[in-house]
Amino acid sequence: MWTNVRAVIRREYMQRVRSRWFIASTVMAPVFMIGLMVVPAYFAQQGDESERTLAVVDGTNVLYERLASKLEEAGYDVFEQRWHSDVVTELRQMAEDGAIGGFIMLDELTLETGEAILYATSRPNLIRQVTLRGAISRAALEFQLQQQDVDVDALLAGGELRIEMLAETVSGGDDPQFFVAYMGSFLLYMVILVYAISVMRATLEEKTSRIVEVIISSMEPWHLMLGKIVGVGAVSMTQMAIWLFVGGLAFVSGLPMLIAAQPELAELSTIRDALPGLGVTGLFVGFFVFGFLMYSGLYAAVGAMCNSDEEAQQAQFPVLLLLVIPIVMVVGVIENPSTPLSTGLSLFPLFTPILMWARVAGGGAPAAEVALSFVLMFLATLAIAWVAGRIYKVGILMAGKRPTLPELWRWIKEA
Amino acid sequence: MKGDFAVRLNGVTKRFGKHTAVDHFDFDVPRGVICGLLGPNGSGKTTSIRMIMGILHPDEGSVSLFGGDPDRMRREKVGYLPEERGVYKKMRCLEFITFLGEIRGVPRSEGRKRGGSWLDRLGLEGSADKKVEDLSKGMQQKIQFIGTVIHEPELLILDEPFSGLDPINQDVLEEIVRDFHARGTTILFSTHLMDQAERLCQRVCLISNARKVLDADLKELKAAERRGVVAVEFEGPDDWLRGPEIERVEVAGGGLHLILRDGADHQEILKRGVSAGARFLRFDLVEPRLHEIFVRHAGVDAATAAGVPAGAMGERP
Repeated sequence: MWTNVRAVIRREYMQRVRSRWFIASTVMAPVFMIGLMVVPAYFAQQGDESERTLAVVDGTNVLYERLASKLEEAGYDVFEQRWHSDVVTELRQMAEDGAIGGFIMLDELTLETGEAILYATSRPNLIRQVTLRGAISRAALEFQLQQQDVDVDALLAGGELRIEMLAETVSGGDDPQFFVAYMGSFLLYMVILVYAISVMRATLEEKTSRIVEVIISSMEPWHLMLGKIVGVGAVSMTQMAIWLFVGGLAFVSGLPMLIAAQPELAELSTIRDALPGLGVTGLFVGFFVFGFLMYSGLYAAVGAMCNSDEEAQQAQFPVLLLLVIPIVMVVGVIENPSTPLSTGLSLFPLFTPILMWARVAGGGAPAAEVALSFVLMFLATLAIAWVAGRIYKVGILMAGKRPTLPELWRWIKEA
Repeated sequence: MKGDFAVRLNGVTKRFGKHTAVDHFDFDVPRGVICGLLGPNGSGKTTSIRMIMGILHPDEGSVSLFGGDPDRMRREKVGYLPEERGVYKKMRCLEFITFLGEIRGVPRSEGRKRGGSWLDRLGLEGSADKKVEDLSKGMQQKIQFIGTVIHEPELLILDEPFSGLDPINQDVLEEIVRDFHARGTTILFSTHLMDQAERLCQRVCLISNARKVLDADLKELKAAERRGVVAVEFEGPDDWLRGPEIERVEVAGGGLHLILRDGADHQEILKRGVSAGARFLRFDLVEPRLHEIFVRHAGVDAATAAGVPAGAMGERP
């Protein structure tokens, strides 16, 4: 009995993994992403080193040390030039010779308003402007505060808001991580949808090409549906594994390269801190697996009851809606993870993958609720398999018009 | 002795809305025979076969295969070639064949081996690694046929297997069907081509308008119907042809077939012809052609419809 299910799984898997579409989306997508990171870094590295060398003429006599350390952090080579009457002419000459990228003049006004002048041979790009401006005004600010005996470093670090949770929660970190929560939800939505629809299309194709009559005469419809879903699911897992691996590689090796080339982007490295840990990644996979099983079952049933792509486009709408509703609500749920509404919605099995993930990654889901959501998804998966299996069994061999709701109900009862 | 039958239909009825596609159909296919299911388009052949294959469920009556539960038997012992050919277009031919074997329990290596030798036999040596969609319709049909027999079934059910093949390939397929028969396989196929059935079948079942017309051993049937047809060639007057013994006259070959009424004596016709001055070149008591038998039992209308080529009339589902 299981050899035929295995045969269907193998067929679905091999056909898809070998297809151009799979290779393109699995391999090319991360390559493209990495390209987006690495290519600009490469170009930046091509830029003249001398552009990163700046002279500072400190008319205030107090700011140079602070400013220099900040600029060095951002990847500049800085040296101080004492003020004398010909300093501008001299530095201008150096800049024209290409020895330095430019020079900054600080004066009394800088201390009061943060204003300064940058003499440069070419107009610096926006990131550099922002970096330089920030460094100068911050140096001035720090100096002024120090005059007042304020602990400048602690205050300017942005302070700290320590959060004490009153209940134990499952989360990726101490802070709500909007980025990870939202991207994860969206990724779940995309991947579940793409693969569930691909189960529908495969079902529809078998039905319209009539090959299904031969297959069904050799195996139970239920086995065919199971093999199809598992096969397509295995493809999706393969794709995600490759993405995770390549994505991890990109962060481990690509990001440092990028930062090395463009030190102004050093803040990107904090993304790494925001990335979910192993446990949360495991939950993500769990949400995906159940989400895929539930929706691919529904989509298989839709495929089995239709006779053409156009019909299927219409018939899939209610199922699609079930997937779109949580994605519409996801921002609200991330922002208010603990309200009764968020809790209730995220426990509805068909919404759970997207919404419970959002709560987990956003840091607001008690462990007990997460566990409960998995139990509910498991039960829902069984229920959907039962209903969809019956619709599939009748529908897959049925020609003619799409069934009405009462007819569908009869199929479920009689199958 | 229910075990002697490969297929047994018992009062099977199928209705689509108000239309009755198959009406109280009793039908046995003994083990080891080649049996033809004959009838015009829309007479219920495909519907009957789809019920045997469990694709449709009869509204009344029952189906049994090898005297047992049809679902289990079907999966183990039956090879089925549907009328509407379906393939996985994107699959490579040998892979497709191997897959069809695999879902019926043929190990992959074995399926590949058998598939390869079938491809050779059907003149598709170079196509093993081609995609099915890149082959012609006729070649795809051969691939599908290989998929039907890859697990060496005990019962082959072929729905219009010859339609869509050129005469050479029809002969190849006939040859293969005979081979399977020689090895003890039971074969049930439907066709609207009477000549083909006549050449190939040991048993025939004629259906028309959803009802069984007759169901018999072909040799016995022909022997029993022999009295009825006389082939004649003659010169001279032909008014003697209008006699009480003669039901109809058909043009056949260079002469005429006289189809006699039941119980008519051909000797009387000969006498009348000779005395009318006809000069006989041939007066031959012939085995009736299947077509004639069919007409005799089902009426001219049904038989005319049976002459319509496949696809010219839509078969009802």
